[in-house]
Amino acid sequence: MQKRRLKNTTEMNGEKAFLLTEDGTVFPGRSFGAPAPRAEELENPEFRRTLIGENRAAGEVMFNTAMCGYYEALTDPSYTGQIITLTYPLAGNYGCREDWSETLTPARRPGRLVKSAGLVVRSLYDGWVPPGRITLSRFLAENGVPGLTEADTRALTLKIREEGMPRGLLLRPSRPGENLGEGEKALALDFLRAFPLMSGRSLAPSQAVGEAVDYPSQGGPRLVLVDCGLKENILRRLLESGCGVSVLPPGAGAAEILAHKPQGVFFSNGPGDPAALTGLIKTAADLLGRIPLFGVCLGHQILALAAGGRTEKMKFGHHGVNNPVREESTGRVYVTSQNHGFMTAAEGLPPDTRIWFRNANDKTVEGLRNPRLRFACIQFHPEAAPGPRDTYWIFQEFLSMAQEGKPSAGEACHAS
Amino acid sequence: MPLRKDLKSVLIIGSGPIVIGQACEFDYSGVQAVKALKEEGLRVILVNPNPATVMTTPGLADAIYMDPLETLYLEQIIRREKPGALLPTMGGQTALNLALDLDREGILARHGIEVIGAGIQSIRLAEDRGLFKELCQREGLDVPRSAVAGDMAGAERIKNEIGLPVIIRPSYTLGGKGGSIAATEEEFRLLMPRALRESPAGEALIEESLLGWKEFELEVMRDRGDNAVVICSIENIDPMGVHTGDSITVAPIQTLSDREYQPMRDQAIRILRAVGVDCGGSNVQFALNPATGRMVIIEMNPRVSRSSALASKATGFPIARCSAKLAVGYTLDEIINEITGKTASCFEPALDYCAVKMPRFELEKFPQGYGELSTQMKSVGESLALGRTFPEALNKAIRAAEMGAEGLEELPPSRLGDPDLALDTRHPLRIFALYGALKKQGRPGVPELSRRTGYDPWVLEELLRQIELEARLAPPGEGPAPLDRELILEAKRLGLSDSRLAALLGRPAGEIARFREEKGILSVYHFVDTCAGEFSARTPYFYSTYGEIDEGEPLGDQGALILGSGPNRIGQGLEFDTCCTLASLAFRRRGVKTILVNSNPETVSTDFNVSDRLYIEPVDLEHVRDIIRKEGVRKVVVQMGGQLPLNIARQLEEGGAEILGTGVSSIFDVEDRSLFSRLLKRLNLRQPDNRMAFDSGNLSALAEDLGYPILLRPSFVLGGRSMFVAYKPEDINTFLATGIKAGPGRPILVDRFLEDAFEYDLDAISDGENVYIGGIMEHIEAAGVHSGDSACVFPPYKCRPEIQEEMEQAAVLLARELGIRGFINIQFAVKDGRLYILEVNPRASRTIPFISKTSGVNLIDKVVQIWTNRNLEEQGLTQKGFGRGRCVVGWAVKEAVFSFDRFTGMDPVLGPEMKSTGEVIGIGGSFGEAFLKAQEAAGTRLPRSGKVCVSVNKYDRATILPTVKKLAALGFQIAATPGTAEFLFEKGVLADVVQKVGARHPHVADHLAGRRIDFLINTPLGRFAYQGDNRIRIEAIKNQIPYTTTTSAAEAAAEGIEYLIHGQPGAALLPDSTWESRD
Repeated sequence: MQKRRLKNTTEMNGEKAFLLTEDGTVFPGRSFGAPAPRAEELENPEFRRTLIGENRAAGEVMFNTAMCGYYEALTDPSYTGQIITLTYPLAGNYGCREDWSETLTPARRPGRLVKSAGLVVRSLYDGWVPPGRITLSRFLAENGVPGLTEADTRALTLKIREEGMPRGLLLRPSRPGENLGEGEKALALDFLRAFPLMSGRSLAPSQAVGEAVDYPSQGGPRLVLVDCGLKENILRRLLESGCGVSVLPPGAGAAEILAHKPQGVFFSNGPGDPAALTGLIKTAADLLGRIPLFGVCLGHQILALAAGGRTEKMKFGHHGVNNPVREESTGRVYVTSQNHGFMTAAEGLPPDTRIWFRNANDKTVEGLRNPRLRFACIQFHPEAAPGPRDTYWIFQEFLSMAQEGKPSAGEACHAS
Repeated sequence: MPLRKDLKSVLIIGSGPIVIGQACEFDYSGVQAVKALKEEGLRVILVNPNPATVMTTPGLADAIYMDPLETLYLEQIIRREKPGALLPTMGGQTALNLALDLDREGILARHGIEVIGAGIQSIRLAEDRGLFKELCQREGLDVPRSAVAGDMAGAERIKNEIGLPVIIRPSYTLGGKGGSIAATEEEFRLLMPRALRESPAGEALIEESLLGWKEFELEVMRDRGDNAVVICSIENIDPMGVHTGDSITVAPIQTLSDREYQPMRDQAIRILRAVGVDCGGSNVQFALNPATGRMVIIEMNPRVSRSSALASKATGFPIARCSAKLAVGYTLDEIINEITGKTASCFEPALDYCAVKMPRFELEKFPQGYGELSTQMKSVGESLALGRTFPEALNKAIRAAEMGAEGLEELPPSRLGDPDLALDTRHPLRIFALYGALKKQGRPGVPELSRRTGYDPWVLEELLRQIELEARLAPPGEGPAPLDRELILEAKRLGLSDSRLAALLGRPAGEIARFREEKGILSVYHFVDTCAGEFSARTPYFYSTYGEIDEGEPLGDQGALILGSGPNRIGQGLEFDTCCTLASLAFRRRGVKTILVNSNPETVSTDFNVSDRLYIEPVDLEHVRDIIRKEGVRKVVVQMGGQLPLNIARQLEEGGAEILGTGVSSIFDVEDRSLFSRLLKRLNLRQPDNRMAFDSGNLSALAEDLGYPILLRPSFVLGGRSMFVAYKPEDINTFLATGIKAGPGRPILVDRFLEDAFEYDLDAISDGENVYIGGIMEHIEAAGVHSGDSACVFPPYKCRPEIQEEMEQAAVLLARELGIRGFINIQFAVKDGRLYILEVNPRASRTIPFISKTSGVNLIDKVVQIWTNRNLEEQGLTQKGFGRGRCVVGWAVKEAVFSFDRFTGMDPVLGPEMKSTGEVIGIGGSFGEAFLKAQEAAGTRLPRSGKVCVSVNKYDRATILPTVKKLAALGFQIAATPGTAEFLFEKGVLADVVQKVGARHPHVADHLAGRRIDFLINTPLGRFAYQGDNRIRIEAIKNQIPYTTTTSAAEAAAEGIEYLIHGQPGAALLPDSTWESRD
């Protein structure tokens, strides 16, 4: 009986697997994608280090409330170090397609296409997908990232909402089909307690290009895009606007940046704790007031820190595509795509810094502007992908700020 | 932007009677709008002639008019009430059209009334297909390609541009007549010339065919600050070609990637902006070609709709309420999300379940109307179910639709017909055929079956989940499998009911339930919270699932569980939802917490504000039991939701529930034929002679014994389903040919049919001792027409006082004998001065809202008071054990409204089987005025002059004579078929002779088609007596010529016409002074 069921369910539901959170709560489910580690493997310290190093199977467990766009989320470098829980129960319905990727092509950056450490869903779809696409399970498998389906994602979400985002691990019991033994659980908990907390974690450098990549201008201003774990669609938006873009690694200093003679510098989104990125914060501080600066998400936090502000960890952050933000000067409200577990405090910034946007639900800071210091940055994702594209216009806003600045040497050349 | 200070009062137009395509979703939206505006301190004036609605409950709006939705009455109301603004977006297409009429006739301008919600210009832009198409093209949005051709050469050119298949529509024909699809060159060359010929203008529209494309809908809201949000996205499981109201739908959209969905969202918002919807909600429909990815806009509705009601229930976001707030000045960010109590409404709800809507058809009632679904909506209602997997939601929705299926299963050929045909056509039960085919073919069948049905492969794969699980549960070829905890749990997570599992496993359902209990496989409940758990919900709105976290604290024993009435269907509709809603409010007024369970997303009762706990679940034994267990509640209300809750009352009681009011055994006393006969005999009450046939072969003998005509019906039926009058022995064979079989447990009831009797409906309430007669209504149609289809008048207008008294006495006797605590409805017939009892219903009847409103006594509230221990004496309704209500509005006529125009070729003749979908009221100072207004409200325009055509069977001739004479005296020309004309001539009325159908041309139908007849009186004899007669009635419907099929209705119509000519119909404010005063 038992055997027959297992055989028949491999296709859809795979082997029994678990998500274990650091407080010892176990969420049972079935494995899909790449197989989750076996509990016994955790006995090997080398294996543990690999999991941490590769940000695979273990990480901060968060939930995302978007009902579509799992591919974009999985390939978003900002999810490095996190296990994504999809609150929408049905996942994989329309398959996966590589040109939706939010990760720069592997040739230009290290690591795999799937950036998150794991995926937890309620009901995986593993059937037919349109030509040119592959199933979600196969996509995860190809990227070596484990998934868990048939999990009680509602319970997990409510737990995160009440208690914050725990460290968690996807794993399979040492003996297939069994429940997690006490010993196995203890071993895994031991691992989790040693797992780095998100606060203080510097993950951006690992997700950025190693060296500069240049895109010539098509008539728009020249920008330096500081890659902190860039989402592809930011680059796409800028290129579509005709910008010339130099994507620089996060280690590039102010001098190196200015050497590209940009009209503006754009700090990208990315993973991890902004406060841990001291180098980037210094770079931004060095540039403040000298050239128009823009930031999105992590980039926004870096600029706020550079301007003397403060960031703090949120309980469970904003992760979804339905967050309303209000533009303080106009009262207009926009539905935005968001993905952040840290936020910028309203205090500590230079007094002439204006709060550009606030979250219409919890009133947290969603955007800042300082004309004197010539920076403007937003916490949400105007590039969407996934999510509403209602704030695409912010790129134009940035670009017109860049064009207001000193004309760069290169501009004359664009006349042709 | 806050509330506008310049507005003081707002006029809201309701949608009128329930018809196919316009159902109780507009009661829900209307009630939300009324409440939302009153919260703002605005005076709200409401017009809606539908007495069954919640919105016309006295005390809800500040002024209520149940008058016809005609400019004549509206202007009177406007003159009297002087509203500052008109909100036309809450009452469906009817209200929008009326707003356009009011504008066109200059009434709005004359009285300085501003249209809010959607401006006249926006309504025009969205409604006029030509303007809308132009607008879309200006905005750079893709629409179906089309052009008009005047000759074959032009047609060829257009066809080549568009590409086959194309839809060809001759221009200027009535109701889109003659539209056809050309898929091949040959068909095009055949059909195109014909279309050009058929068009009076020699023109035809050639349109790109979207058949088989995927269909999607977005519910969008936009405010005056240009903030726009998509509340809900909906995917139609049935592809284009099936009206969205008839399609199985799922929310949110399932098969689109973010790359495909976002452009759709952008376009939806852009079209709202272009049309100018800036303070309300709209529905935007898209079609997507799965082969090419091309997406086109099909249409938009600048108002709340059936889809928006569905979206509100599926997401927890109250679209109508917010629309009303936006209309009076607010912006989305200023409106608090009621569910979380702390977040703003300018967000897009995130679901963590999927929501499946299942249409409810009346396949048994209108068999000839359902060959294939089309772009004309045919379903009468719908159910909604939420689940954590698609099969879970789908299975629950199917069960909730009460269509005789335990979720997805194989249907017998008697229901499905040829499964191959069902797959290849747009059959209403196609999904069942698909399930059967997939079961046979397995996964390899997916591509081919997807192509044949146009269903996305995703749907098929989801069905396969269930099929594969079922194969594991009960492996084919093996004996009964042992019950396995994990497998049963998995099955429950896919929505399989205990009964379905029992059938699969060959065990009794009780055993499955017991096994689950033992193994702890129990239903759990999740909040519907608009935000996928991101914020905590404070409104307890739940759905069930399995194997997950259980949310919400039980209410405990102090509350009451009210069982709702499920999807709208013929015989059980809006009026029961009103009873449930008002009951919940009445309990809460008395400090009793309520739990409501219902599956109908259109309703007011599924508004989370109506009860303390709301469960969107099928109203069946398994789900109700689960809720009782979860909540720890004991008291259950089964009298408000029509027949559906009564069906499970006994089992609930056996399970330990306390059925409030009348005992379960009394329910069975009146539902069981032989017990009922014995009861009447004991009380010395009369009923028509009757027998029971336990064998179909006995019918003829029983009929001879009773004497023809006889009334035949299967036992335990709802809404008179399958009732039949047999006039002669051959008719019995016709009845049996419909597939009805008598059996030992399922007798056919045979009654002597009282021809030409008058029927009465009595509604009373009792506390077991004291009896209060709410009112007696006299049917205008003669006996034999189902009470739900008959017009009726309150008070009775032709009933001798001693007969009324006899009815009241019978009611008192029955109520006491049965120990009625709550409602009792009795149907009487009077023939030759003798009173017969036809039927007793120990529950709220269809007419309770009507009687409550016209007698000024909220009978539902009174019953709830009885249940909360206040007897009728204490309530002041009875003295010395008896009391009676009176009509406080003068005369009130209730008229049934039909949706026959939805089914081409349907014979509208009335009979014992109920066919109406809704009802209207006419209120007047005289019977004539009330009848006239009821007709107007029902959309029938009685003529002031012209020609009346009379064609009655020979038994009706004497009865019709005074009516014909009256009409002649009113100046009408009289025409009649030969037999009738001859009779009239003998009686001194000279009528033009018109030929009967079947005789030579021109005959009656020709005259009707030529609109040379203004009023038709046609009484058929027997069901299939004259083949010609149904042609006449069908032609009358097609040409919108008023007709009556009974002599008594003709007589009433003559009175109405007389009033139309000599009287002055006026708007009538519904008094509310007496409504709650006796509390």
